Order: sequence, then structure tokens, then C-alpha cells
Amino acid sequence: MIKRILVCVKLVPTATSVEMDGQFRLKRDGTSLQLNIADVSALEAALRLKAATPDAEVVVLSMGPAKTSQTLQELYALGADRVILLSDPALAGADSFATAKALVAAIRCLGDFDCLLCGRRAIDAETGQIPGQLAAALGIPAVTNVQQLTARDNGFLCQRRLENGTAQLEIAAPCLLSVCEYTYPLRLPGIMGKRRARDKQVEVLTAVAVGLSAEECGLRGSKTKVIRVDTRAPGLRKCRYCETDVLAEKIREVQL
Amino acid sequence: MKQELLLIQGTLPDMGLQSKAAQLALKGHLTLRVISGANLEAATADDGAIAKALIPQAQNARVILAPATTRLRAILPMLAWYLQAGLTADCTHLDISPDGTLLQTRPAFGNSLIATIETVSGIQMATVRPGTFPVSEGAEQIPVETLQEKPAQRVKLLEFVPLADSVPLGEAKIIVAGGAGIGSSAGFLKLADFAGRIGGVVGASRNAVDAGYVPYSAQVGMTGITVCPKLYIAVGISGAVQHLAGMSGSTTVIAINSDPKAPIFQYADYGIVGDWESIIDQLMEELS
Ligand SMILES: Cc1cc2nc3c(=O)[nH]c(=O)nc-3n(C[C@H](O)[C@H](O)[C@H](O)COP(=O)(O)OP(=O)(O)OC[C@H]3O[C@@H](n4cnc5c(N)ncnc54)[C@H](O)[C@@H]3O)c2cc1C
Repeated sequence: MIKRILVCVKLVPTATSVEMDGQFRLKRDGTSLQLNIADVSALEAALRLKAATPDAEVVVLSMGPAKTSQTLQELYALGADRVILLSDPALAGADSFATAKALVAAIRCLGDFDCLLCGRRAIDAETGQIPGQLAAALGIPAVTNVQQLTARDNGFLCQRRLENGTAQLEIAAPCLLSVCEYTYPLRLPGIMGKRRARDKQVEVLTAVAVGLSAEECGLRGSKTKVIRVDTRAPGLRKCRYCETDVLAEKIREVQL
Repeated sequence: MKQELLLIQGTLPDMGLQSKAAQLALKGHLTLRVISGANLEAATADDGAIAKALIPQAQNARVILAPATTRLRAILPMLAWYLQAGLTADCTHLDISPDGTLLQTRPAFGNSLIATIETVSGIQMATVRPGTFPVSEGAEQIPVETLQEKPAQRVKLLEFVPLADSVPLGEAKIIVAGGAGIGSSAGFLKLADFAGRIGGVVGASRNAVDAGYVPYSAQVGMTGITVCPKLYIAVGISGAVQHLAGMSGSTTVIAINSDPKAPIFQYADYGIVGDWESIIDQLMEELS
């Protein structure tokens, strides 16, 4: 029986272009934020697992600036039982290693769980590394790129999308599953949910509260360092307008 | 002193990356080692077990590289955690200094930024976008070791269904991608017929996927797959930045669109303005 499902979500800038400060950290102030697309699927998957298991609890964990708590609060209306925000200026500029370390510290404070769900990657930094790092740190098995999942016995059945096909896998709980974009569309909040959400607060944790030292946090705790950032117009080319005979010629060339 | 450059290959080895690894090893005064095996991607479904089996192999590594396939993008972060090493995802350019410092370059934010990254841990790890580097002569001659790993119990493979397309989108030399402008599933069948005749594979924009013309597995772009074929033919695709993020690395881009102002033309080498169906018909005729 599933008792607790953890979901890690990230709020990402809605804008397609972004600004960085002098230390190559993202300027996250002033831009509007939305739930990362793959995380939407992870959250909905968690809510469906909960619906199928009466006593299960969904705990949402996010890391980010304090102001994201406003948006995160709305997740109570969808059926989240607890929403936790790990937020600390010290965590700014963390690479995937330092981010995983911080999330693991927070996860350890939350107690046992049956399943940890994440989006397969965030659309801002697009590393997709956090799920693997979390699984290794927590010592649990993982399947990434999941496109369908259901609970079964003491684990989960899932479908994993790979380059050359789809794998049907069975994984033992507790485990980590990272979910693809558009796997499950997020439900809308109901009237009951909205009412229930009204007096619930996002629980905010600081780095110290989860037992992280200053050396482990943010830029200082990172194993990689951005040394240069170039902006560029992606792939601008000079277009030659032509007729189909030129295209046919080009296609033949490539076929050779 | 750690002095190896370890390349981890999966079942779909990236020979271009193998060539690049050989050059980097030479320039950075490192010894090249390549580990591979069918095991790595096929037999064991448990990425964690593979990551664990790789730990002892990494003892002398200064640099660890792997193609950024779905499985290796799961395995490398686990290995990086075990080794407490920095890892950079999906690099599109690599360089090394004579003292073995690896410079890793990768796009971010839908290709609007290009970041160059250094690792501050002793072991420097990176996954590399498949197909980024050209294959040079001699890459096949590099000896490859096979990884021995124990079967794992925690993740079991029940079934594997290969993609109907014989060539995965990410490896296709020619991609014919359709957008909302194709207008129907029937239109995509026609596009698939055309793609098949020229030895290509069908890709799609998100709007075409959202409209239900094609499955999500065909989606190219920021929230789909990233491709860099020799030839990318964008048919009825407007050229949104999120779509460009997935295909701007293509060698040659052809755009077919009825709107002469469609942004895709600014990102194409060749363009035809007009109705896609009649243009494809004409092309099929010329190629037959
Ligand atoms: C966070 C985020 C992530 C996204 N990720 C992706 C992604 O991964 N991939 C992706 O593709 N998009 C993605 N998008 C969506 C993207 O912004 C665009 O909406 C999408 O790419 C548009 O698809 P399209 O070009 O097919 O459709 P449209 O923009 O509607 O363009 C259709 C084109 O077809 C042309 N056309 C119409 N009829 C014909 C005809 N008869 N003959 C020829 N041409 C014709 C029109 O002139 C038009 O240019 C994302 C968006 C967001 C916000």
C-alpha cells in the first residue's frame, strides 16, 4: 500500500530569454514563473496514485526564491497534502550537484516515502541530472523518462521512452521515477479543493533547518563553474529562395 | 595522479565522440580508455546497477565522457554522485588544456545562451549531445573494453517494444518535420511516404503533436527531442524559438511554408513559399 508520494517541482521563467547577473546566476526576480512542464506530469501522476490509494499522502517539495511560495500555495487546491519550499539566499547559483545535495537534505527531513516523482528535466537549465543524482544519494532505484505509470504490489509498473523503443519495467518501492512532459495533463482545482486550500500555508525551510552547512550550498557547494556565457541568435541562416528542382538536387546530394 | 580519459559508450556508440575523445586525450596528456558492451544499455534495466559497476573503472579517471543518450543521461548523474564529481549535461563543444582541464560548452534556455563550464572537482564529467562531432579515421581501431556488471533485482525489464521507425529520430540523416500547417493525420501519412522515399524519418512541431496528427515521440524542440541531421526539411512549421532549439544544429535546413513572413525562413538555407502539398507532390515527381 502506498503511504506517501513525494514530488519535486521547480518553477521556471515563462519568458524564453533570460538575464544573468555578474556571476552568471539567473536573475529570477521580475520574471513571471510557471510550473516546469515535465513537473506538471509528475505532480498529476502523484495525484492519480493518491486517488487510487485512499490513505496516501502527496508531499510537494520545491527549491527556489521565497516569492515562489505564492504560486506553490495553489497546489493545495489540487490535492497536495503538504507543500514545502526549501528557500535560502545561500542556495542561489547551485549547480545540479549542490541542488541535489540540498534536496536530499530536505527529503531526509520528511521521513519515509514509497515513491519520489520528478519531471525528467527543467526547461530552463535542461540538465535532467537531478533525478539520477537524487536516486544515487538516497540509495534507491530509478527509472527516468517515464511515460506511463501505475502502482503494483510493492512497487510500480512503468513505461520508459528510449531512443530506439519503449521499455516496460517493474521497479521496487521505494524508488524514483522521472516523468516526461505531456504524460498527464494537470487537473483543475475544484471548489472543494479551493476551500480546503484557503487556510493552508506553504512550509518554508531554510538551508540550516535541513542541516546544510554554508560550504555545501549554492555556488560554494557546486562542482561546476560557469566561466563564460555567450548570447547568440540561434541558428540564423541566409535563406536562398528556390524552386523544387534545387531542393531535389540538395536531397540527392545528402542521400549519397 | 589521475590520468585517464574514460569514454563510456552504450549500445548506440557515438564514433564521433570516440574520435573527439582521442584528440582530447592527446592534447590533455591523458590516456584514453573506452568501456562499452551490450550490457550497458540492453540486458540490465537497472541504471543504478550499471553506475555502481562503473565506480571501480573510474579510479584513475581525470575526465569521464559519454554520449547523452537517455540511459547514459540517467547513469552518469548516478556515477557523478558516487564519485562526488561535477557533471555537465549535453555538451555541444569540448576543449582541454595541456594540464587536463576540460572546457565544456553547452546551450541553455532553448539555445538562447551558450555557457562554457569548468569542473572544480578532481574528476571532470560531461555527457555530449550525440552526433555532435565528426567521425575521424582510426576511431574504429581504438580498443574497447566490456563492462562486467551483476544483474540487478530492483528494476526488471518486462518487455521492450522497438520503435516502428527503423531509424530513431535522433540518428536520422534526413528528417522531414511537419507542423500545424500539415492540417491532418492524413497529411502526415503523406509526409511519411515522402520521408520514406528519400530515406528520411518524420519529425513534428509541438502544435502538430498537440493537434493529434503524430505521437509525441516525433516532437522536435525544447520539450521534445534535439536533433542534428544532415538535412532538416521543415514543412508547415512557423519556426518558434522552442522548435528551433531542437533543430538549429542541423547541417542544412529547408523550409516549406505558405507564409513568406514565417520566421522559419530566417533559420533556413533554402526556402520555398507555397502550399506544402503541391510542393511535396512536385518534389516526389522530380525525385522519382
Ligand atoms: C515552454 C514551451 C515549450 C515548447 N516546446 C516546444 C517543442 O519542443 N517543440 C515545438 O515544436 N514547439 C514547442 N513549443 C511551442 C512553440 O512555441 C510553437 O507554438 C510551435 O512550435 C508552433 O508549431 P507550428 O510551427 O507547427 O505551428 P504554427 O506556429 O501554427 O505554424 C504553422 C505554420 O504552417 C504554415 N502553413 C499553414 N498552412 C500551410 C500550407 N498549406 N502549406 C505550407 N505551410 C502552411 C503557416 O504559415 C505557419 O507558419 C513550446 C512552447 C513553450 C511555451
